[in-house]
Amino acid sequence: MPISCRTGCGRNAVLKRPKTGDALCKECFYWAFEAEIHYTITKGELFNRGDSVAIAASGGKDSTVLAHVLKTLNQRHDYGLNLMLLSIDEGITGYRDDSLETVKQNRDDYEMPLKILSYKDLYGWTMDEIVAQIGRKNNCTFCGVFRRQALDRGAALLNVKCIATGHNADDIAETVLMNVLRGDIARLKRCTAISTGSEGTIPRVKPLKYTYEKEIVMYAHYKKLVYFSTECVFAPNAYRGHARALLKDMEKIRPSCIMDIIYSGETMAVKEEVTLPTQGICVRCKFVSSQEVCKACVLLEGLNKGLPRLGVGKSSKAKKMLAEYNAKQEQEKGSLEQAIIDLDDSSNLIDDINQSNKVTKAKSCRSGSCKSNNKVSNGSTVNNDKCSSKECCTGKCKSNQGNDIDQGNSKINSLLEEYGINDAQKDIPNGNGHGSNVSKSNGEIVENSDEDGEVLFNDQDEENSCAGACGKMGSLQIGF
Amino acid sequence: MFNCKKCDNPGNIILRKKDLYCTECFKTNINHKFRACIGKNKILAKNENVLICLSGGQCSTVLLDLIKNGISLDNHKKLWITPVFFHLMGMRKESDDELIANALIKQCNHYDFNLYIGHISEYLLKNNNVQEINTLPQENNTLINKFNDLLSSMSVSSRNDFLSKVHRDMYVHFAKLLQCKYIFSGETLGTLASNLLTNLTIGRGSQVQYDVGFCDNRNEVRILRPMKDISQEEIDQYIQINQLSPASCISNNQENCLQTIIKNFVTDLQENYQATISTVCKTADKIGVGMKQCKKCKVCESDIGENSNKLSALEATNYSSSVSVGQQQLTSDSENFAHAMFPYINQSLCYTCSKMFSEMDDSNDVNLKQILLNK
Repeated sequence: MPISCRTGCGRNAVLKRPKTGDALCKECFYWAFEAEIHYTITKGELFNRGDSVAIAASGGKDSTVLAHVLKTLNQRHDYGLNLMLLSIDEGITGYRDDSLETVKQNRDDYEMPLKILSYKDLYGWTMDEIVAQIGRKNNCTFCGVFRRQALDRGAALLNVKCIATGHNADDIAETVLMNVLRGDIARLKRCTAISTGSEGTIPRVKPLKYTYEKEIVMYAHYKKLVYFSTECVFAPNAYRGHARALLKDMEKIRPSCIMDIIYSGETMAVKEEVTLPTQGICVRCKFVSSQEVCKACVLLEGLNKGLPRLGVGKSSKAKKMLAEYNAKQEQEKGSLEQAIIDLDDSSNLIDDINQSNKVTKAKSCRSGSCKSNNKVSNGSTVNNDKCSSKECCTGKCKSNQGNDIDQGNSKINSLLEEYGINDAQKDIPNGNGHGSNVSKSNGEIVENSDEDGEVLFNDQDEENSCAGACGKMGSLQIGF
Repeated sequence: MFNCKKCDNPGNIILRKKDLYCTECFKTNINHKFRACIGKNKILAKNENVLICLSGGQCSTVLLDLIKNGISLDNHKKLWITPVFFHLMGMRKESDDELIANALIKQCNHYDFNLYIGHISEYLLKNNNVQEINTLPQENNTLINKFNDLLSSMSVSSRNDFLSKVHRDMYVHFAKLLQCKYIFSGETLGTLASNLLTNLTIGRGSQVQYDVGFCDNRNEVRILRPMKDISQEEIDQYIQINQLSPASCISNNQENCLQTIIKNFVTDLQENYQATISTVCKTADKIGVGMKQCKKCKVCESDIGENSNKLSALEATNYSSSVSVGQQQLTSDSENFAHAMFPYINQSLCYTCSKMFSEMDDSNDVNLKQILLNK
């Protein structure tokens, strides 16, 4: 006995909405789904007419649906937005390379310009290389921190008014839980904001903030949208997994708990006497940071010095590591000095350091004007690591990080040019049969979508896992 | 290293899987945690009447023992309160309920204390009678049935939440009858960590300070939680060392509800990450009251927000439910619809209590909800 659509449109229902439990037909579901996002956008005043908006696109279901819906709504309600896609290539073989193909497909399907920035160009390291250094744990810290900044850089390049990200309601609820578990009060405070960004930074908005993950999966499925649905090869060890598991269990009992958690986050406040980190600008890279030197710069420095754990964990440990590193440097320098009294030794020193740390990746100053920026690390704290080497550098090299990044920016101009792809049809759940299943039993679709949700564990999730797993510093206000 | 961390005598108690203590240092430490929690908050004046809530479980057993030790001291460390012991019945099956109450009376008498007992169903019809000490209250079966009907119309998660609010309300009620301005309740670290997550999950994020913090000052009668720094592990050890016998064994409540899931989750995570519970509680300490003080919820006495036009999960939920039934625009119709989902929201009830109300079925007795609202 087919159930008729709850709206009274006369058609038979094909699904039960995970969010409200109402049985709807396809058309009414599309309509409700899009209307809700439209409501969020207008009520939340996310965009202004004439804005250029970059959609942070991973190729996963959230960003694909976001791009699709924004394009649809932009036409339907005449927002007057200039939409474009922005992707970050972390350099994860077997994951991002494939998902970027999907993004390119989106670019063609939705006729939006696409910009891809890569970690390799921006930071000199791919995630594959980073994981080779840091191991399977904590690597999400790097990925998340770097991506946040990379998105900012991309948005600045595209000269957009804001970045729209595909964070959905599940992601946000999960983040609330995780920030409680991690005791991160600063993030807890701002993670439910629909729009984040302080003066001088490019704001980020979350049009899918109140949209359930399951509904996104169903929407993409029924609309036959092309998206990439493999879990990041490095993600399974992320701490976020605990919060996600808890949320999934609770959602089974009470689907509304996702909205309830968001409501909790929106209405709670931090006690006045609690000091929160203040947002400033990283002295090195000039991007937003709550510390003098931002997390991205600290992490990068760790990588370049062969101390990959430098930015992971307590800052006291980082100081200790640096002190040891510097002591070692001093020692080596001492022995060198003894050996070579006439010291035109900067290149020798680098070789020496590279050998002693077994870091093949240690980079020298890209500008070429400063060959010995590794020597720079004599400063006793992280902050100190400007190119103090008056001896070696004529001042062209302000700091190795800053330089690398500037270099990176110029390199971005040599963007990969990509054209048509055919293979992106993978992983679209087989739609045939779903509809008929569902009209027989209302519960069934929920089961199905649940499976989808797990199978289609996507990049957006992974993005979050990074955002949360990373340490306290970083470009706080942008991400979660 | 087999010696106590504190005094270098041989230790025999391991906490947090790594820290070794001797019995003496352990006892001193627990006592200190309890007293420090009361002392540093500087809320109690000398010789205040304090209602001590006893459930009969492990924590309440330890609480009773700690208070006994405190007030029987005869030096400058004496605990200067006048305890009034109280137990609320009606939470379990009838036979168990009586067993526990009787065991508690015995336990209290053993310490030379008297116990007052009330019944939870009196929530619906508060009278000002206090039972005689050390006797079970007379049961009013119609009232109990009414109360149970009300409970059974709710989902398990909502019921547990509602019961915790009823508890709170009854403690305050009896504290007033027994001239107490303060209440001690025996929640420990782990319980509070679970409560925090539960609060968040059901939409009570803005009430965390009251429900998880040391002092709940929503009412003029203040509820204090002096055991909030003591962990379950320490409770277990304390009971073993002092050979205490709790009146009720832990009710291993495995109902399928949010509270159980969260509790199990916290316990499991604590196994692998020993800092979990204390981190969660530290977070709780930093969360304040999000609402401006204006109106109070009739059920939980928390501040309720104003009806604002700003977008929040509440508006989004309302909008979802109206577009799901085909409403094109938010009209007066859909407002009515929203009203059905969130009755009395921001008028007399907070978000969560309002949701709870929409679940309650009082068709058998139309007045029940009204009774709650008119309290």
